[in-house]
Amino acid sequence: MTQVAEKEILLNGTQAVAYAAMYADVDVTAAYPIRPYTEVMDTISKLIADGQLDAEFIIAEGEHGQFEIVKHASLVGARTLVGTSGVGWLYAMEAIVVTATDRAPVVAVIGNRALDDPGAYGVEHNDALMVRDVGWLLVWVDTAQEAFDTALLAYRIGEDPRVLIPVGVSMDGGFLTHSEQIVRLPDRELVKSFLPPYDRGKLRVHPDNPISVAPQVNEDWVTEIRRQHDEGMERAREVIKEAYESFKKTFGRYPGTTRDITMPENPFVEPYMVEDADVILVGMGTVSKPMKVAIKNMREKGVKAGMLRIRWFRPFPAEDVMKYLANAKVVCVVDRDYSLGSPFRGGVVYHEVRSSLYDLDERPKVLSFIGGLGGREITIQDVEKIIKIGVEQRDTPLTRHTYWVNVRGDPW
Amino acid sequence: MGEEDVKYVEITYRGIFQKRLAKYVAEGLVYMARDMGKSAVSFGRYGDSPERNGVPAKYYVAVGNVSEEDLIGYSTRVEPEYVDVIAVLDDTLLKGVESWAWQGVQPINLKLRKDGAMIVTSRKPMEEMVKLTPSKDFQWTLGKLNWDRSFSGLWAFNDDTTMERVWGAIAKVRPDIVDIQHVVSYVKSHKKDKLNERLKAVEEAYEGLVIKTMNPGEGVEFKYAPPRLLTWQEMMEGTAIPAVPRGGRNEQFKRGTTKTERPTVDFDACIKCDLCWVYCPDECFDKTPDGYYDIAYDYCVGCGICAEVCPVKNCIVMVDEKRLPDYTRPYGMWKANKVEYKKWLQNARAEVRERPIVPGLGR
Repeated sequence: MTQVAEKEILLNGTQAVAYAAMYADVDVTAAYPIRPYTEVMDTISKLIADGQLDAEFIIAEGEHGQFEIVKHASLVGARTLVGTSGVGWLYAMEAIVVTATDRAPVVAVIGNRALDDPGAYGVEHNDALMVRDVGWLLVWVDTAQEAFDTALLAYRIGEDPRVLIPVGVSMDGGFLTHSEQIVRLPDRELVKSFLPPYDRGKLRVHPDNPISVAPQVNEDWVTEIRRQHDEGMERAREVIKEAYESFKKTFGRYPGTTRDITMPENPFVEPYMVEDADVILVGMGTVSKPMKVAIKNMREKGVKAGMLRIRWFRPFPAEDVMKYLANAKVVCVVDRDYSLGSPFRGGVVYHEVRSSLYDLDERPKVLSFIGGLGGREITIQDVEKIIKIGVEQRDTPLTRHTYWVNVRGDPW
Repeated sequence: MGEEDVKYVEITYRGIFQKRLAKYVAEGLVYMARDMGKSAVSFGRYGDSPERNGVPAKYYVAVGNVSEEDLIGYSTRVEPEYVDVIAVLDDTLLKGVESWAWQGVQPINLKLRKDGAMIVTSRKPMEEMVKLTPSKDFQWTLGKLNWDRSFSGLWAFNDDTTMERVWGAIAKVRPDIVDIQHVVSYVKSHKKDKLNERLKAVEEAYEGLVIKTMNPGEGVEFKYAPPRLLTWQEMMEGTAIPAVPRGGRNEQFKRGTTKTERPTVDFDACIKCDLCWVYCPDECFDKTPDGYYDIAYDYCVGCGICAEVCPVKNCIVMVDEKRLPDYTRPYGMWKANKVEYKKWLQNARAEVRERPIVPGLGR
């Protein structure tokens, strides 16, 4: 398909999502500032002020109110954008949980930020991961292009009548929220054909459709409501696949692909040089970028390394994880989060990956690397070190499960 | 082609007052470098706090003859290991740069690579600028963009051709990063209004840039050692840190480089009322044996509260930071020679500062 109206502009991750919301023609956005999310609301307000977007821009009194506003707007049939970071996400937690149980498909940007205390505005994934068990779709992106594309996809997926589940689009504070890259913006007419209007049907709260949402039900209904939600989460897998295919058909490129960057065609994960790899790194977000450079460097030295970036964390791509990691000798999961007191003291993604591999007849060793917390860099050199540890562990009995990356006071 | 082929431009600016300017300078450079067939991205130094008045902050542009994927891989950093060009948007930053990161007061050209260049927006004569500029142990280029610093608010952009001038100056010293043809073509294609004025600004900066080759050791000595941060075993548990001892100050975090204006004191007018000492939010005033208050300028952020609460007309007056070369305390100067001090004071106060903020009524 021709794309005469496509253009390229320089955007950072937060701006890219705001642009996607404009292309998706959102109706309502609720805002409350916290770094690194803030530039989302800055950009939206500018787009509205410049006459490029017609939407209600509501300043909330705090994050809890912010998420309540979009939940209600979504239930009456409005397409919404919301977002926050770190402790802002946690302050809104009650509203965030009911947004999922009431099946309001809001799209939330989470500029990942360390949880206070101490004060730090750098990336950590524990903020978004706080909702990993309560029925949100969760996705991590690693470029501004992917942020734009994924936000568009999020509306299509979340609003699908088979799903009706909110989507949290996570991006690393600083490394993506405050980093500008060239983004391909599609023809707006094509977006209209990709993204149908949001229609809740019989679930729309409206005087012409009298329903009540969220009654007090206790033990009589709760289990069935959770079971329904579980089924919706599972149906999302198919809907995600369909949406990525449709994106490709409509815009002539796979999501995340730019003029310079090619994405393998798998919505859930990004495999990189995994085919013959002995040591495979797993991570979420921008850590993929130094990982790829380090993998190339190590391959020049004869080390067969690869990477599997987890894009969709909920629903978790267990099948893809099994498929791509089955032939590895060692899997090094790099978590930009922590799960203190968990089995083997490992990170959150480590446990998901390790659990996914359990049914394989021959399992690779799985190591947990915790690092990059509070905005600290995970450098190319750090990744090379991780690969070296993976190589060292390849042929010996496993003596240690978890390593902290580049922490002052431990050997590294 | 690898990481060593990547060039970095560092834009050093003041929080809020120059945040838009720095970002737009970076944005233009990315487009120009891409027009030249290179990969380019930009990023703010995330440990900074650019949404606070005057706090020194940095923006980076990475340019390379490498794939964009690799370039992003190399530059997914808080800050690069080295920089090739530094654009300093306010010459008072030459006194030092301390961001919100715990790295101490750093010299302005800390990360400059051999044969690199630093361009400073300044009205000072070159020889005066050299006396403020930290030396390096290799040869490099110092450029003076003869132009006033441009300040505005967080949301506003002062579209006064500073941006175009910085581009022109960079093209002069490092055409390998962006050349003048691509600066001109970018301005022509991206800026519809005031085009002639913009192009003239580019040309003026390109042709008029004052350039000096700095030899090894030339400039002033600026002692800097990165602070030694504690290990997890050494730190207090529970996110606790020891308090600064009474009467002492935090050696690791000073904040004085934040100020763009500072209080000057006429000790002859002072009535020793203590209000400056009471109200200073950063405890910069030290009581002297004879009851006056000396000022620790390296801790003063220039908020102006002392000038606001001082009840005596013209006793504490805020002056533009650019009129003073260093952080020498005033009380010793006054004690040493009161006549000379009066002259110094008059000179410092000779020019009324145009302020982005209005801190007080003390004048």
